[in-house]
Amino acid sequence: MRALKPGLLRAVLGAAIGAAIGAGSLILAGSLGMEITDGEILGLGYLLALIGFLLGIGAFRFWLIWATGREVNAQEEHAAHGTAGDWRRYFRFTTDHKVIGVQYLATAFALFLVAGTFAMLMRLELAQPGLLLGKEAYNEIFSTHGAMMITVALISIVGGLGNYLVPIMIGARDMAFPKSNAFSYWLLPLPILLVAINPLLGGFDSGWTAYPPLSQQANLGQQAYLMAFVTVGVASILSSINFLVTVFRMRAPGMSLMRMPIFVWALTVTSVLGLVATSIVASAFTMLLFDRVLGTSFFRASRGGDVILFQHLFWFYSHPAVYIMGLPGLGAILEIVPVFARKPLFAYPLAVLSFISIGVMSFMVWAHHMFVSGMATFFPIPIMLTTELISVPTGIVFLSALGTIWMGRLHFKVPMLWVFGFIWAFLIGGITGVFLADVPTDLTLHDTYFVVAHFHYTIVGGAIFGLFAGTYYWFPKITGRMYSERLGKLHFWWFTLAFNATFLPMFWLGIEGMRRRVADYPAQFGGVNLWISFAAFNIFLSVAVFVFNIVRSWRRGPQAASNPWRAQTLEWQTASPPPIQNFDHIPTVTTGPYEYGSGPLIGVPAEGRSTP
Amino acid sequence: MTSPRRHLWIAAAIWAVLSIVGAVLVSGIQIMPVIASREAVIENSAFVLLTVLSVPVLMFVVVGLAYSAIWFRADGDEADGPPIHGHRGFQTVWLGISFALVVGLFGYGAVGLIDIRGAQVSDFEVQVRAEQWAWHFTYPSAGVDSQELHIPVGERVHFIINSDDVIHSFWVPAFGIKQDAVPGRTTQIYVTATVAGTYPGLCAELCGLGHTDMRFTTVVNDRAALEAWLRQSTPSPAGSQPPASGSEQPS
Repeated sequence: MRALKPGLLRAVLGAAIGAAIGAGSLILAGSLGMEITDGEILGLGYLLALIGFLLGIGAFRFWLIWATGREVNAQEEHAAHGTAGDWRRYFRFTTDHKVIGVQYLATAFALFLVAGTFAMLMRLELAQPGLLLGKEAYNEIFSTHGAMMITVALISIVGGLGNYLVPIMIGARDMAFPKSNAFSYWLLPLPILLVAINPLLGGFDSGWTAYPPLSQQANLGQQAYLMAFVTVGVASILSSINFLVTVFRMRAPGMSLMRMPIFVWALTVTSVLGLVATSIVASAFTMLLFDRVLGTSFFRASRGGDVILFQHLFWFYSHPAVYIMGLPGLGAILEIVPVFARKPLFAYPLAVLSFISIGVMSFMVWAHHMFVSGMATFFPIPIMLTTELISVPTGIVFLSALGTIWMGRLHFKVPMLWVFGFIWAFLIGGITGVFLADVPTDLTLHDTYFVVAHFHYTIVGGAIFGLFAGTYYWFPKITGRMYSERLGKLHFWWFTLAFNATFLPMFWLGIEGMRRRVADYPAQFGGVNLWISFAAFNIFLSVAVFVFNIVRSWRRGPQAASNPWRAQTLEWQTASPPPIQNFDHIPTVTTGPYEYGSGPLIGVPAEGRSTP
Repeated sequence: MTSPRRHLWIAAAIWAVLSIVGAVLVSGIQIMPVIASREAVIENSAFVLLTVLSVPVLMFVVVGLAYSAIWFRADGDEADGPPIHGHRGFQTVWLGISFALVVGLFGYGAVGLIDIRGAQVSDFEVQVRAEQWAWHFTYPSAGVDSQELHIPVGERVHFIINSDDVIHSFWVPAFGIKQDAVPGRTTQIYVTATVAGTYPGLCAELCGLGHTDMRFTTVVNDRAALEAWLRQSTPSPAGSQPPASGSEQPS
């Protein structure tokens, strides 16, 4: 009875049974004359499918054992941790943070490819003036592209690299709550699938921002998106708690807060944001769901609701969320710079402070998305101040990176190339952000392609360049093999040139008055849009090089040493890949993480630094 | 071997030259493609100022990166760089300049916004009503409805904006301002058009299937021509025709 053992097969079975019970009971009730809507059927079906899926994968197994008064035997707990070298652990409810990290990374990159395919469809429609796929299809395609890419940016570095590396970087054997960690990962597959198949439910055409009343008119696919988003939010809150407890309770002896690698600091601040902000958007989306399904009127103007309230609630999360996407990338970049510049991270304490200030201030800038929304006439003024102020701590990232690079001994390996690409992209994102923070210029730029270009420079620049830099940098640690340097360089140059060729012209389009979220445009923009579509297609091809490099190198790349980059942080002081327990002995930390160039440590792997 | 101080001076000199040349090059350009209102003039000057200020910031990072990439390559050298953890003076100056820039930009932006939204008096009033997917303009002084926007040149016009269904956004790019039309609320905006002519208007906020095509035409004319158009569009007292009929676009 293989199907009845906890695993993916049983999970799929559980989801099917759950969906059948949920949807079936309501359909039955409908046929008996009760008034049942499609939204209610989808809602209950999804809820029970999610529970069935989690039951099937074994997410409740240990809790059920406790609940029924039995003891969890150590062997079983051990088995849930997974066995080294067993590929099947990646498809199970495995509690090892390294397995979970790889699960997140694989999920994120798969989703990245699907969302990228949607982007290609958008560029196909926009390559020429006139309509090809049609307005309805276009609205659904860009909405799905946005929703998926946001998920990629939210989970890839935090869930993937963060889960894999944070415990090792602070000298712990696992996360604080391994079962809850696995639980939050296994919450994701079903909602992601639901967003991917939303076109079958009629699609949703209101963008990832889901502003009512448009999102109240939209098809059933809209409800699928809202439910999926709330589920991902729950996973995000659970994982935030896990990171915070891990970082504050499980550091190795001697690892004081100010000796933590900067990447760990970035993840810590990110987790605070995830913990505090996510519940706000989850409640906004739940209220919207209630408006759609249960007949409430939170955002129904015709019945006394307020549509602007939704925007406030939405951005009160979604602006911090920009930093949930960005900060881990910034952390990864600042982690990599010292290693390839062979110099200590410049102004480390200031960089830590800047991350914390970004976290705090990110709650004070939300309304800069709403300068033309019709909120109080002069409320933009204080918001403009806080928005421009947040550029001071964000600028510290440039100070730290440049200060480290200056007078360094630069090794231009692939991760370092991505650092340089990141600095350029994030700089353009930052500078153009000032034009949008400044209310007079925003009045004309709002809702144009200038905004599209700006947030792609910040989110792709911050999250995706950081993700690629981190993936190449830690690839030898995670897989125990080296990637191909030549293919990595090809990927970098192809991606970076194509990325800039795609998004730089969009600033011009925006200034010239091309609106965002339109399927068609005046003929005068035809040439530039054709060029952009061509360049965007090249982004997609360059990512194919990345996927090929990663898959091939993982299978038969040359063996990697435990510390190929001569880095000093703890993850490089253990084997590649690390043993199940991460370290044979928990290390004791005696110095900071970036003591390059200091006396006896010069050029020596830092084993002497952390005594077993 | 170039000394650290010498590297700094060379890079600073390159930065200064590029910044000045770049700033001079961009300082004279008109950035907004069409400027036909007092508000657009304010925005364009903000645009130019921000662009000029961007040049030294951009060049600082680009020169820093490029100079390092050329001069500080390890080239097989396995030795570490100097153990510099920070620099008090440099960090302080960096923070000081950042704050000064922010405060300056904020002051300039706030003055600009007060200038644009401040004087809430008007010579002419238009009621704007958005629906999926059309714009309707009503001129209360003349009792005229139209799907085309007609306003006088050189006078401060007050737009009172509503929506029947979802959120739309009233935008005439040549005037440089936009304002969402929100169901259940009334929003407003003031514009002084300065150049007579015909300009396209658009819906800037995603509003569903017809969003792409939700456009209108704006005609800015002198007061006499506007009055003539209003008279011609006024429904005759006995007429039962819908009032918008007189204002259909020729196209």
